Amino acid sequence: MMELSEVSFAYDGNPALKNVSFSVEKGAFMGVVGPNGSGKSTLLKIMDGVLRADAGEALLNNTPIGRYSRKELAREIAFVPQSYTLEFNFTVREVVEMGRYARKGHAGHRQSVDDLLDDLEISSLKERYFPELSGGERQMVVLAQALAQEPELLLLDEPASHLDVSYQLMLFDMLQKLSGEGLTIICVLHDLNLALLYFERLLMLSEGELAALGETESVLSPEMIESVYGVRAHLHRHAGRTFLTFSPRSVGRRKERIHLVCGGGSGSYLMRKLIDRGYNVSAGVVNAMDTDEVTGRELGLPMAAEAPFTTITEESHEENMKLIREADLVITTDVPVGSGNIRNITAVRQAIEMGKQVWVIEGLEDRDFTGKAMEMLRGLGGLEYFRDSDAMLRELSEKWEG
Amino acid sequence: MSPEKAKSPKLKNRIFLGALVIFIFVICFLLSLSLGPAHIPLKQVAKFLFQGRVAGEPNSTIFWQIRMPRVLLAILVGASLALAGGILQGLFLNPLTDPYVTGVSSGAALGATLAFFFHLPTIPWLSLFALIGGLLTLVFVYSLAKKGNIMNIYQLLLGGVTLSYFFFAMVAVLMIKSGKDLHAVIYWLLGSFSGRGWNEVKMALIVLPFFVLPLFFTDELNILLQGEERALELGVDVERVKKILFFIAAFLTAVAVSVSGIIGFVGLVVPHICRLFLGPDHKKVLFFSIFLGASVMCISDLLARTAFAPSEMPVGIVTIFFGAPFFIYLLRKRGGFAA
Repeated sequence: MMELSEVSFAYDGNPALKNVSFSVEKGAFMGVVGPNGSGKSTLLKIMDGVLRADAGEALLNNTPIGRYSRKELAREIAFVPQSYTLEFNFTVREVVEMGRYARKGHAGHRQSVDDLLDDLEISSLKERYFPELSGGERQMVVLAQALAQEPELLLLDEPASHLDVSYQLMLFDMLQKLSGEGLTIICVLHDLNLALLYFERLLMLSEGELAALGETESVLSPEMIESVYGVRAHLHRHAGRTFLTFSPRSVGRRKERIHLVCGGGSGSYLMRKLIDRGYNVSAGVVNAMDTDEVTGRELGLPMAAEAPFTTITEESHEENMKLIREADLVITTDVPVGSGNIRNITAVRQAIEMGKQVWVIEGLEDRDFTGKAMEMLRGLGGLEYFRDSDAMLRELSEKWEG
Repeated sequence: MSPEKAKSPKLKNRIFLGALVIFIFVICFLLSLSLGPAHIPLKQVAKFLFQGRVAGEPNSTIFWQIRMPRVLLAILVGASLALAGGILQGLFLNPLTDPYVTGVSSGAALGATLAFFFHLPTIPWLSLFALIGGLLTLVFVYSLAKKGNIMNIYQLLLGGVTLSYFFFAMVAVLMIKSGKDLHAVIYWLLGSFSGRGWNEVKMALIVLPFFVLPLFFTDELNILLQGEERALELGVDVERVKKILFFIAAFLTAVAVSVSGIIGFVGLVVPHICRLFLGPDHKKVLFFSIFLGASVMCISDLLARTAFAPSEMPVGIVTIFFGAPFFIYLLRKRGGFAA
């Protein structure tokens, strides 16, 4: 229903959109993401005809947007801005009725304003003055105003960025419901996790160009996010949800590699902290599907992994040793030692023997269920003990990051 | 709930308020006809109104030749200025806007001063010069603010105000040059209905259609309070509406100024009073501004010719003397532009 072909637009010579082409089917529910200044809002304004493309065309139902009068367009497309100010004492009902403007003299509303307010669960606000409303209430009223136009296509520009979590969910749940009723929705949003939660398709803009268009999870791959936003992102699946976390941007990548001998979740905290500080991190040997293995995989770490609940084999031990050889520092977490993973202690011993610096969290004897671990490490120099992970991190910042 | 049902108490309220303001207007109209240097009792006013000229009655000539045209002119001018102010305040989203920011009034003043300068201070020259001056300024200010197909409201405002200063400087130069007519020019500038007759009324009647036209644009004006971009999104042809309303307001101002001089404050205060009491809806603000503007001007002129009788004050002084304290009181009590 909406098609852009090679649309370019510049503000006084500063290009905002470059050759953007895509089309949106009727009934689509599409998010638009991209860094600030990537052209998202401009894109929406081209689509609703407030801005004219310098080159290329925006077509609504195969007709150029420019051929519609403002009134005709307002019956097809409605817009919800990021924030909206109206300092005058109009009641909510009056504000929503302004959305009817383009339909005056056009018979056949699908829905009365009262029913519309009911549907959005804001009937109670009907007689309140708009300027007295909270930010969340205002945004729902603006949505109601847009819906009062009874459009085919609803455009939203970061509609939730000023809203608390409750209103965010209320708004997006409502959008999802409207989409289910056949409304075509294109929504610009900043919060990539909201995008993951609600949208099946995403369009990503980068410096005015179309960077990606497709299924949400493929568009929001960590590689894509790093190349467009310049931020290291990590995609997690947990509790039935997919979500993104980000590493601080201020920290550059470091050249040192740290290998974690861990398992069972004992290394997850350090993995994340070290990644966020820019280190190269590897881990082993961990059992597949255990917490450390999952975390490491989501963070994209090189790992030596063993099948679930399986004793470490010679093969994975060798893999682990390979990672240890490449490491500048080996950290042994407070992973309990049993017959299944006693080979990890062997790995630590070999690491010391090859002259690696090895840090261990205190209390190995208490978590050693084989009784051999302490014996294996006895008499070896170059071992340093720390009270906990945070103590190690402090030492790291003094030693390497100073 | 059906929409009719939901609307009905509001509609009733609106009809009541409408009736009230028209009632006030009629009272002001009758009082203005009755009171003055020559007192014409209300009974006689009624008689004249129903029977026209009554031969032999001494007051008949005063009533029809002097009182009636003067009061009618005050009504037309008051309504024009208040309506123009109401439109422009909404259009410019600016509470300080009055009809004179368009620069049209100073253009008219320059025209009128030129008429004095060329020794043509008589009807219809004076009014004609003023009207031409006003309309030329309107076109000039508009062309200043127009870029492509877009009329920039801020440039309109700044252009109008700047031109006002410029024209008043020219008026001052002309006034000094014109020497003995100085007094007449000043008197004209301050605004007065003194000595105006049917000729001016006929000229001012041209505003009548422009009282009705803006009432068809009240939805657009309300939506424009949300900003031009939002108005576009809601389907308003913003540029067209702005142009039409600006021209209407400026034209009303030009006509009003050309027949009466520069009467301050009515165009600023009356729409504000309407807004303070009735809310921001232009359906009400514009309709009430017309009748309240007419009423206020009637009463102001009545005071102008009776307060210091037999000498007369310029009505522009009266509107400011009474308007300013009253408006400040209202603002303190009821809040500002968008409250």
